[in-house]
Amino acid sequence: MSATLAVYQKELAGYFRSPIAYYVVSVFLLGTGYFFLYNVFLAGETTMAGTFQNMGILLTTLVPVISMRLLSAEYSTGTAELLLTLPLEPWQIVAGKYLGALTILVLMTAGTVVDLVPLYLFGTPETTTILSGYIGFLLLGMACLAVGLFFSALTHNQIVAALITAAVLLAFWFVGHLQTFQPSGTLRDLFGYLSFSLHFVDFIQGLVRTEGVAFYLIVAAVALTLSTGYLKWRR
Amino acid sequence: MAVGGLRIFTMSPDSAVIALESVSKRYGSRTVVQDVSFTVAKGEIVGFLGPNGAGKTTTMRMIAGFTAATSGRVSVAGYDMATQNVDAARLIGYLPERPPLYDTLDVSAYLRFVAKVKGVVRAALASELERVVAACHLEDVVRREVFKLSKGYRQRLGLAQALLGAPQVLLLDEPTAGLDPGQIQETREVIRAFGEQHAVLFSTHILAEVTLICGRVAIIHHGRLLAIDSPAGLLRALEETHRVTLHVRAPAHDLRDELMSVKGVIDVDVRPLANNADVVAADCRVEAESGVEASIARVITRRWDLHRLERQQPTLENIFLRYVKERADVNERAAGA
Repeated sequence: MSATLAVYQKELAGYFRSPIAYYVVSVFLLGTGYFFLYNVFLAGETTMAGTFQNMGILLTTLVPVISMRLLSAEYSTGTAELLLTLPLEPWQIVAGKYLGALTILVLMTAGTVVDLVPLYLFGTPETTTILSGYIGFLLLGMACLAVGLFFSALTHNQIVAALITAAVLLAFWFVGHLQTFQPSGTLRDLFGYLSFSLHFVDFIQGLVRTEGVAFYLIVAAVALTLSTGYLKWRR
Repeated sequence: MAVGGLRIFTMSPDSAVIALESVSKRYGSRTVVQDVSFTVAKGEIVGFLGPNGAGKTTTMRMIAGFTAATSGRVSVAGYDMATQNVDAARLIGYLPERPPLYDTLDVSAYLRFVAKVKGVVRAALASELERVVAACHLEDVVRREVFKLSKGYRQRLGLAQALLGAPQVLLLDEPTAGLDPGQIQETREVIRAFGEQHAVLFSTHILAEVTLICGRVAIIHHGRLLAIDSPAGLLRALEETHRVTLHVRAPAHDLRDELMSVKGVIDVDVRPLANNADVVAADCRVEAESGVEASIARVITRRWDLHRLERQQPTLENIFLRYVKERADVNERAAGA
């Protein structure tokens, strides 16, 4: 456990001693702040629904920046040779790194709580719906980061890792829209089930459904297991 | 065991801390390491010698557990590196060819990270860091960020992390590369001191280095282990590789007799030059003392026209050629038998 913790601490130090954490968190909070102001003060909507939707898209574009370095940078700088010859099981490496990335996600999420102040001052939002939205956002982030970690495990090149992650996450985000072309049948259900955005909409509307929770957790678990398996296999 | 007159020691696996048994590594159709077997015992420093691309790094990586052998068995302190590499990792200090450093950390944070992963308990952390910092002379840079370190410091920081956590085995891939002469001396002292109690395998392509601190030297070339011998044994081979080559306008037979009369010439091989029938080339095996070529030049110029005279230094390349040739002869004999 202490070895996993050491990897986690090293990972966090890596984020905060480089511009990545500051860049990602500030871009995310600026973006979210803008959407919040637009939705609440221009569109006149006193809920977080619109803002959560925008946060989701913003997240899928920023996750590749957080996740690209996780393992790619270890390969390209030669530190993988240290990490993989230290007394660490592959799952400990993956867990430490994943938790490091999740910490950035939590910080991003925590920063948006500021937006709730004017919402509660000037309106009467439903707390349970907001909580459900935040749960959905964190689960979405967990799935996205695990996918990003997996692609970072596959390549030495951080840019390649980021581009593939972005492409895959956007595909998962927009796959639900394909339902428009498939009015009925299994394929339509599949598109709906695989859609990151459609599951997220449930959470935004205040529905914490087992199906949605399980979907994001399964995606994360599969991606993390594949990453661990890949680290073992590449020996 | 003797191969082509060269001794290859095989130690009993019980005393061996590092043991390789018929280890090969293939990447697709490319064989990088082929059928390598040797052992390193406790209290022994073995130098791993070979030119770039010989398979040293791959062999080191297999012993360190970074990559698995395609066939054969690698064991460290009794642990099979194919399946128990994480258990064995606690006993191994490994410095890869390229020091594995995190540029975003400072020296102290980096060492702290490695120490924690190696299981150094919190109470012992400070003294452990102090120990390796002193051993590798890093006192002046403890608070410095890794990316600001000079090449010499980076190399020594790499060595420091390998020493953390009281390993029983030290694997060092070219530990003195990029160091100035003073630092090289200090690093050798660290290796020597560690090697008194533990097993050390370190690779280099500098011959002088292995002869200075190693009990035995393993020579690898084209992925094959050509020999393991003591530095003294290697030096004997060295002495036999001193050669003087000359081109002379002279009758072949007379030239041979004349050269054999020179003190210090052991053997002469004369052959005509392909592009000039009058001029012959003579290849003399000579004793190691200097001045033999001057004596040859004096004798030859008294009677004939000397076109060229060159002393071949006993380079690593020459030793390899000798070992490779002997291996080829052994194979030929084996095929003929």
